[in-house]
Amino acid sequence: MAGFLIKRLLQAIFVVIAITLVVSFAIRLTGDPALMMFQGGGGSMTEEDLARIRAALGTDQPFLVQYWHFLTGMLTLDFGRSFTGGTSVSLLIGDAVPATLLLAFISMLVSIALSIPLGIKAATARGKVADQIIRILSLVGLSFPNFWLATMLVLLFGITLGWLPPSGMSGMASYVMPAVTMGIILTATNVRLVRTAMLETLQSQYIMVARAKGLSESKVLYKHALRNCAIPLITYFGLQFGGLLGGIVVIERVFNWPGLGTLAFDAVASRDYPVLQAVITVLSLMIVGINLLVDIAYGLVDPRIRTE
Amino acid sequence: MTTFKRGLTATFMALALSATAFTAAPAFAAGKMTISTPQDPGSWDPIDTFLVQWSAVATNIFDGLTYRGPDLKIVPGLAESWEELDGGKRLRFHLRQNVKFHDGEPFNAAAVKYTFDRLLGEQGAKGPQRSNYTSIDSVEVIDDNTVDMKLKAPDPVLLTKLAGYGGMIVPPKYIQEKGEDNFNLNPVGTGPFKFVSYQPKVNIKLEANADYWGGAPKLSELEYRFIAEPSTAVAELQAGRVDLVIPPTIPIGMIPVIKGDPKLAVVSVPGPTVDALRFNTRDGITADPKVRKAIIMAVDRDTIVKSILAGEASPIVSFQSALSFGYDPNLKGLPFDPAGAKKLLAEAGVKPGTTLQIDIRGSDATMNEVAQVISSYLSMVGLTATIKPYETNVITNDIIPQGKTGAMFQQKWGGWTFDYDNTAYAMYHSGEKWNPYDKDEKMDKLLESQRPLTDRAQREKILQEVGAYASERALELPLYNSNAIFGISKRVKGFVAAPDNRLKLNEVSVD
Repeated sequence: MAGFLIKRLLQAIFVVIAITLVVSFAIRLTGDPALMMFQGGGGSMTEEDLARIRAALGTDQPFLVQYWHFLTGMLTLDFGRSFTGGTSVSLLIGDAVPATLLLAFISMLVSIALSIPLGIKAATARGKVADQIIRILSLVGLSFPNFWLATMLVLLFGITLGWLPPSGMSGMASYVMPAVTMGIILTATNVRLVRTAMLETLQSQYIMVARAKGLSESKVLYKHALRNCAIPLITYFGLQFGGLLGGIVVIERVFNWPGLGTLAFDAVASRDYPVLQAVITVLSLMIVGINLLVDIAYGLVDPRIRTE
Repeated sequence: MTTFKRGLTATFMALALSATAFTAAPAFAAGKMTISTPQDPGSWDPIDTFLVQWSAVATNIFDGLTYRGPDLKIVPGLAESWEELDGGKRLRFHLRQNVKFHDGEPFNAAAVKYTFDRLLGEQGAKGPQRSNYTSIDSVEVIDDNTVDMKLKAPDPVLLTKLAGYGGMIVPPKYIQEKGEDNFNLNPVGTGPFKFVSYQPKVNIKLEANADYWGGAPKLSELEYRFIAEPSTAVAELQAGRVDLVIPPTIPIGMIPVIKGDPKLAVVSVPGPTVDALRFNTRDGITADPKVRKAIIMAVDRDTIVKSILAGEASPIVSFQSALSFGYDPNLKGLPFDPAGAKKLLAEAGVKPGTTLQIDIRGSDATMNEVAQVISSYLSMVGLTATIKPYETNVITNDIIPQGKTGAMFQQKWGGWTFDYDNTAYAMYHSGEKWNPYDKDEKMDKLLESQRPLTDRAQREKILQEVGAYASERALELPLYNSNAIFGISKRVKGFVAAPDNRLKLNEVSVD
């Protein structure tokens, strides 16, 4: 287990360095943050003014020197200061990480809570009306662009009915619409996955044995069948969580959610290098971490993997 | 199994509950107003930023020595009066007495000196605002209520600049004791509202300053929420959770949504922002002034403003708003004349079917449509235009300064000072960052000659000359001056839209 963890940790470090190197380099190719500061109001800036700002931001240094500062800073959890306003990046990240993680987690829960019973129902009612309806709904769900679904929900529940806040993160109620939007989009795929996995498992001989023993149908389905098809499902849900963190940018923007997506969006728009680098680092660490958790979860669900 | 089922039920219950139990109807505390602003400036320190979204909030926290309201007239602020001495090289300010900062420390001559020493010193060097105040040589305390500002050279725009941004007076003791970092996030000023809390990317909350020198504000609380997405901001407005959406948020296409809601209204005023398609005057066919003139004559700008901008803009003939100092109402641009345009093109030897590229900001929905229309106007005189959209910062801070544009490129500009010098110098003076192509000695001399003049009439005359000369040389295809569009709830009373978005809300109340 220790060897496994060390290997994963080294992998994580490599991934973070590779990703941040590419992102930090690419963002510096487009536009000068010092020049941006003078746009509109400050037509009267001189070359000296620009040099002064570049020195204050540290963008006058060669790229590799800037990158080295970023790497060494990261070791002490110091991500530097935002170019817009000079706020400590750690402070911004510290606020954004829980907001994004919580939303992603609740969306996953919504999706799991919907897709498992629906998927099982579709599998057991294979070819019947219930199966057809679930499959059509899933297709519809897959075809929705998520921002469109979000807008429709906001129109209905936020404006017409006035039940839920249209945006922002303020208490339990504000989680409902973003989480349901994400949840529905995820469920559309997950239902099909659960259905397929269940169909395969239900044809196994041990299910026949379980039925022959006279176990109740729910016991057969949930204890024997579901547990046996849990491995591919966990793998998929885990990987999906990683993708979810990427896809959350759009949802965060529509719902004005103060998470990593909003932070990344603003940082790209204003060429805020330190913030962008930090967001990318945190996101890649999270995704590596989730993959690790998925591996550990295998062992918990399936004793055969634990003993190997 | 049962636990699983119970878990499921609980999940559904929780979802259902949260959907019903928190259906709180929008409840406002008495006298609380909520405003949606598209950007979080990240710091509330006056020396850190040029963002108009900073000013939209900070105008309520800080005061300058002078004040400029929605009517754009310079009136006393923290200085009750001032006089010019030494031929405009010294300004003497008589300060308002018995004014206190929100933390209780007194406002006096020492605070004024501290503010400008800080702006022009080491701390100010880290921010962009200093470049606007470099005409100030030093500030001298004459007595507790009198300060002198010694200038390196007369600066005719200084009194305007003292009404905002870097000229806002800050509390010396508070900053020295609590530090600069604290001040960025916990601003203290003398303004009508006191800072309460700031959550980056979420909101900033203010409360009334009952001791405000201009009288206690009518509202008890102000909350600014940072909402970037226009549809989200409008949804919040419709849901009654936001009372005012400030520009630049609402696109022209969304105006009917707001007008269709009986609880809401749209307020729009001409703002400082102007759009033009500038020419590459150095290379290609647009190096020839005849071609540039032909292009200007080929485009019917009045129709564009009426049909695409739904009247929420005014056509311009020079690159400035009608509110700008240096605007000349008598300046006539080139008329819409496709036949004349064709003739000019033929004279210049431009063959029908010649191509040219128009670079625009891809995220500017209005300009995307406008550019399409311009392209079809140009095709009518035999020019084939291709439109190349760029991300805003790429075009403004890379493509234009590096001189890598097509024959025409969009420039959006507008300084809060409403002084044509701010635009004209940056666009036309040779060697300036945003003027990659043009070099013209006459233009340079005109621009330089007006800078030190304190005689307003004389300076205005030269600025008008600059505008006329730019028009004569056809340096750009002037398009329009966009309105600043506000979406507002009808529960708000006494709101006056400020063209520059610097909204002081002490006279505003809510039902």
